[in-house]
Amino acid sequence: MGNRPSWIHPAFCLLERDGDAGWTAWRWPDLADHGLPSDGVVVAASASAVLRGVVAAERDNRAILLLRHGGDAAGWLGEPGFAVTLESSGTTGLPKRVRHTFNRLQGRVRGRVDPSVRWLMTYDAGAFAGLQVLLTAAMTGATLVSVPGAGVQELAEAARLHAVTHISGTPSFWRAFLMALAGGGTPPLRSITLGGEAADQAVLDRLAAAFPLARLRHIYASTEAGAVFGVSDGRAGFPARWLDEGVDDVSLRVCDGVLELRSPRAMTAAGDGWLSTGDLVTRVGDRVLFAGRVDGVVNVGGVKVSPEAVEQRLLAVPGVAEVLVQAKPNPITGFLLTAQIVPASDVEETVLRARMRDALAELVPAARPRVITLTDRIPLAITGKKGRKAQP
Amino acid sequence: MSETTTMFDVISEELARIVADKGERLPSLSLDTVFLGGELPIDSLDLATLLVVLEQRTGQDPFRDGLRQFTTVGELAALYPVRV
Repeated sequence: MGNRPSWIHPAFCLLERDGDAGWTAWRWPDLADHGLPSDGVVVAASASAVLRGVVAAERDNRAILLLRHGGDAAGWLGEPGFAVTLESSGTTGLPKRVRHTFNRLQGRVRGRVDPSVRWLMTYDAGAFAGLQVLLTAAMTGATLVSVPGAGVQELAEAARLHAVTHISGTPSFWRAFLMALAGGGTPPLRSITLGGEAADQAVLDRLAAAFPLARLRHIYASTEAGAVFGVSDGRAGFPARWLDEGVDDVSLRVCDGVLELRSPRAMTAAGDGWLSTGDLVTRVGDRVLFAGRVDGVVNVGGVKVSPEAVEQRLLAVPGVAEVLVQAKPNPITGFLLTAQIVPASDVEETVLRARMRDALAELVPAARPRVITLTDRIPLAITGKKGRKAQP
Repeated sequence: MSETTTMFDVISEELARIVADKGERLPSLSLDTVFLGGELPIDSLDLATLLVVLEQRTGQDPFRDGLRQFTTVGELAALYPVRV
């Protein structure tokens, strides 16, 4: 069994639903009763599997590979020394393995010990964001509520059942979560975090209205520099003065419409220390707003168009609960934007279509989604983000 | 859709809808009508839209494997192998 690792607070509890068998409460000694497979590969199917694997890897001073659903351990050579390797699953690219020392993972965790906190796991336990939530709950003595493989509806039920107080999720998760909560009670949220995608003003406003007592924060992070800053004023984007003053110890600038940063925590940097984030931004008054990924920009009949920027515009239309704008290859114009819309329950289609037409009228014709389909849900990738790949 | 509906009818119907959305009226089509020859009140974005709509309606994308040439309504209709 061994000693309790310093990063697992004695008050920590993992409440995990075990299929139809009900809820299992995992506390420290239960988590230790597990050996690491000889190859160091653990399928990250649940939070308990990940926690037990990490505990065993630390105890044996070995490397662990957390394999995602459908992942492949080919080419993995376990190495001596405790480190955690994750499979990053980009929304646009192939998965790649990223090795983290445990100190570095732990070093990112914020928050004071508070056993009254109850987190909900919205991410895959083997994803970077999921591991962050796991470690945060473990280190601060919180309870973590987890339903492996759950859809948003089940997560909403779990959040109500266990009176969850803290949730971190992507904006796409939050929009779906708000829809799933509609018509029922709401969990007593005290802390709401959005990350992984740009948070639009509509989702921030809806969350503030649904949970007026909760602290609302959206995080901006880049692969190269890690978490860069959090924004807590309830507004989308970030204050434009940060371009001049920086934020914390990070300097920011915009070059050809793309956000660049200089951070002491960055992994790599060009000669002058500035890193391109690949995120397009536009300045609107005292605010800098995100306008999609530079590698998501497509050419529609000679006009460069960002599907995500168009998506943000549609998300602001009253009666629109969720949107996916995709760039579809087209033999005439190269690409053409199409949109799938999840309408709010109380809006008529003709009214909604008229509002969307008005909202899109300011865009150049090439940037308007030409085919708009109504649907009841938009599937999320395993990262909790919307799939960005062009439709086949 | 009735069995007698042809691809020509589907193209006429969807094109009329696209043109009506722009507040214009579609002149009567023939198999020889050229899409972007100035006879029709449409631009390349409208034609691109038509192809997406046709794929949604027929479940077929004749352009999946690369560009296939067409200039007239009849040539486009012939690219959809199965009658709808």
